[in-house]
Amino acid sequence: MSVTPAIETAAPAVPLKVRLGGWGTGLMLLAVWLLLIVATGLYRQDFLSHQTLLAVTFTMAVVGVLAIGQGLVAISGGFIDLSQPANMILASLVAVRLSEAGMPLAVVIVGAILSGMLWGALNAAIVVFARLNPVIVTLATNFIGLAVLFLVFQLAEVPLNSEIYQFGRASFLGLPAIFWPMLALVLIVGLLMPRTRYGRRAIAVGGNKAAAKARGISLKLTRFAIFTIAGGFVGFASVLFAATAGPFNPGSANTLQLNIIAGVILAGISLAGGRGNFWMLLLSVGFLSTIPTSLVFFGLSSDTQSIFQGFILIIAVAIDGWRARKGTP
Amino acid sequence: MLRNTTRAFAVMALSVPAVLGLGGIAEAQDKFKLGMAVGGNTCCEWMKAQGDVARALAEKEGWDYVELSNNNDPATALKNAQIFVQEGAKAVIQFNGQAASNPAISAVMKQAGIPIVTYDIADPGMYFVGIDNLAAGIAGGEGLGKIVKEKWDCNPDLVVSAEGAGAGIVNEWRTGGMRTGLGNICPDIPKEKYVSFESQGDAAVGLPAARDLLAAHPDAKKIAVVGLNDGGVLALINAAEQLGRADDVIGWGQDGAFITGDNVNPHLVGSVFYFLEGYAVYAIRDVIKPIAEGKIPPLKADAGDPASKVQPCPVTAEQAKAVPDMAERVKQLLAAPAGTTEYDLFCPNKG
Amino acid sequence: MTDITAAPVRKGLSEDWRAILTGSVASISITFIAVIAIGWFWVGPKFLSFGNVSIMGTFLIVPLIVGAFSGFALLSGVVDLSIGSMVAFSSALFALLISLGWDPATTAVVTLVACLCFGGINAIAIVGFGAEPIAATLGMLVALRGIAWVLLGSQGTIFAFNIDMFNLISLQLFGLPLFFLVAIALTVVAALIVTRTRAGRHVQAVGGDDKAAARAGISVRGVRVAALLLSSFGAGLGGIVYAAQLGSAARATGFGLEFQVYAALMIGGYSILRGGVGNPIGGALGLLAVAGVSNILDLKAISPYYVNIIVGLLLLAAVLLDRIRGGDAYE
Repeated sequence: MSVTPAIETAAPAVPLKVRLGGWGTGLMLLAVWLLLIVATGLYRQDFLSHQTLLAVTFTMAVVGVLAIGQGLVAISGGFIDLSQPANMILASLVAVRLSEAGMPLAVVIVGAILSGMLWGALNAAIVVFARLNPVIVTLATNFIGLAVLFLVFQLAEVPLNSEIYQFGRASFLGLPAIFWPMLALVLIVGLLMPRTRYGRRAIAVGGNKAAAKARGISLKLTRFAIFTIAGGFVGFASVLFAATAGPFNPGSANTLQLNIIAGVILAGISLAGGRGNFWMLLLSVGFLSTIPTSLVFFGLSSDTQSIFQGFILIIAVAIDGWRARKGTP
Repeated sequence: MLRNTTRAFAVMALSVPAVLGLGGIAEAQDKFKLGMAVGGNTCCEWMKAQGDVARALAEKEGWDYVELSNNNDPATALKNAQIFVQEGAKAVIQFNGQAASNPAISAVMKQAGIPIVTYDIADPGMYFVGIDNLAAGIAGGEGLGKIVKEKWDCNPDLVVSAEGAGAGIVNEWRTGGMRTGLGNICPDIPKEKYVSFESQGDAAVGLPAARDLLAAHPDAKKIAVVGLNDGGVLALINAAEQLGRADDVIGWGQDGAFITGDNVNPHLVGSVFYFLEGYAVYAIRDVIKPIAEGKIPPLKADAGDPASKVQPCPVTAEQAKAVPDMAERVKQLLAAPAGTTEYDLFCPNKG
Repeated sequence: MTDITAAPVRKGLSEDWRAILTGSVASISITFIAVIAIGWFWVGPKFLSFGNVSIMGTFLIVPLIVGAFSGFALLSGVVDLSIGSMVAFSSALFALLISLGWDPATTAVVTLVACLCFGGINAIAIVGFGAEPIAATLGMLVALRGIAWVLLGSQGTIFAFNIDMFNLISLQLFGLPLFFLVAIALTVVAALIVTRTRAGRHVQAVGGDDKAAARAGISVRGVRVAALLLSSFGAGLGGIVYAAQLGSAARATGFGLEFQVYAALMIGGYSILRGGVGNPIGGALGLLAVAGVSNILDLKAISPYYVNIIVGLLLLAAVLLDRIRGGDAYE
């Protein structure tokens, strides 16, 4: 299927070209994002306010960290992790229970990250040992995970005024406290992926498995590492989620899923693997998180939000496909 | 090469049920059998509890009890109705949050001659047991109105409705009722101050939309919040806290899900208890038990003239402190004499 | 399966008895028989009674139709994730027009044409521009859900209960729902098309290896456009059946259906990531097996909260079984 040609076209690592492709996506994203901001700002001047900035950056924080995890799975050829909702709810529950027990924030964060990594490792174990496709595995573990979680709990929330609760409401340099770790993580991952041995390995595995194997890269180890680390990002996202969400239930993370995958795709991180620049996530997630806010200023109902987001995604991947096709003879 | 296998299995798929089906005749049951279809939406802990309470009460009566989940899906709810018919249920209780399939379910049950009780969302063919959502909304709105009048002299900057369109007409009754009730106490709030956002009835899911709404009304300080349920109202309260604007937010919810325990948000000043988890007491006392005893009650399907009416219990956060949390309420309810409702046991504010 | 272009996928197996062990419907047939056997021994004969099969059948009509048509898209290597939302959109539009007093036949035609238009947009993006199918149809999933919800209005539900349509959809033949049999017949026709016609072999060839197919003179674009249109047509049909069955359309209609259907199709031997594998019969058996499992749990009055756990485990078990029997291994 179409996955195959994409792998072939992107295969032999040509870092310069890959990087340039990434920046093209970036300029385009930046342009439409600015266009949206300017258009809304012209329609209503008070759109360009600190309140809007807060609303958008709060939304970006959780989505952004989850998108890093999703992007790592995608770029290394694992396609998509459909079990992020179950993983996130489990890690959030861990965070709630730890904070209920009066643990300091650091312990809560470590606990949630470990829970996320454990979940990721479990997915990886099934993928690697049973040699099954990650999409199917994570679809199944999400089904199972959410059902089990519902048997375990129906409602949870971090205690009022606990450390994590305060963290979710604090601000730093005029932006939400939960925004900064997201920003830092995207910048660090975007910096390390193309510049470190392990990052390049992950991209190489996603681009062309056979070639990567021939160069002595262990597919299994890479897969294990990627899923575990991606799960860790989900675990950290859960801290940001639990800190802000108020009471949540096992189904509360389901609606995030499509938005995150859309963010990864818009950022130009290929679902077929081997291609993408994580810095672009800031632009794609920022753009996607601004759309609903803009629509409210335009006075449109929230249902129209999905219509815009959906068609924007279709147009973006169509343009991406067009460029990829023109780029190859 | 595939052809023969394919053909073989195609024939098998069709013929196996047809041939073996001849043997399938359900055994006659002497025991009274109660079917219960729970809502099956993971949003709400009371949906699971509704089944747990019904099961416990049915066992006390010595009945057989079958529980299915509607999975918050209209088609599944219709399928469950057919399974109850096949399984020989003598009466059925349902909570169908996706009431879209209620007309079809009514048709199925009517054909089979099985009485069905529906909670909270009325259908002409079903015994109505539940709250008058509109009245509950108005009661909550009036409770909020009193506080708005006292604190702000009926002059809030903004009145926000946390909607949940997925709940259909129930959403309109509750949020519309709350706006009406608020208007009863404070009739001079101008129309343009009423705004709404889609909370999906879930504090966590509705949060981003709540932040967007607040951003779009940057000058509003004194904000009154009404909603489809406590979760929706909490979405706006949490958003206001995050945008640094919670000082002057007053929210009044519905359903009482987040107004008990020691984790109550200080800006949630009141709610309306329905004690949803204990509805089975009403259904069994007023409809199911009479049917089991052969005295079939008249079909009362209208929320205005219900088969059994659940009293809404509006409470301020202060009053709610006397009410135990859901797990404890269920425990006490099951220990109470048959027919005692949670309203009798726990409502601190009996009208 | 004599087509040379598809030969590499099948690794040259030719004898019928080997096909039973390794063919694409082999694993699901075993799973299916196991489900029937468990139902028979555990629930008793009533599991296979006409009444019970009718109940399962009634609610398999929509998944079977949607699965049979979207299977063509899977086979040709372009997964269509928008089917669930397409069902939602179709049922919303159909119910809306019916509630406005339109006549059912005209409404059905208009609804199907509208669905084909959106399927056409999928095709333009994927085939015309070379967009990645998962990404493009994910966009369509999101967009159509929004459109369906806008159509449904602030109450989120449109009641269009029409007793004639309800009776039509509830018609019985040989003690089973007529439209269930129609859906099965449709599946068999689809299977015949896939395995016995030139067009079907072309679809498989395109999905198996599009470059080789193109070299063999098959119009890769034409096949994929047709497959995507078929997929949207099937989902449109499914939505209309839903609206007639339930007498309404609601925000929950079709929500998440794509994952339910594809999970069952994957249990049945399709792959959502690779074209050229799978067979409509296998897909239908996958749907029947899942429905059977859920029915067993219903009849045994096992807590309904376990259903998804078992469906998830079944999905894993089925793909593992398929892999062990010589199916595709990942990496």
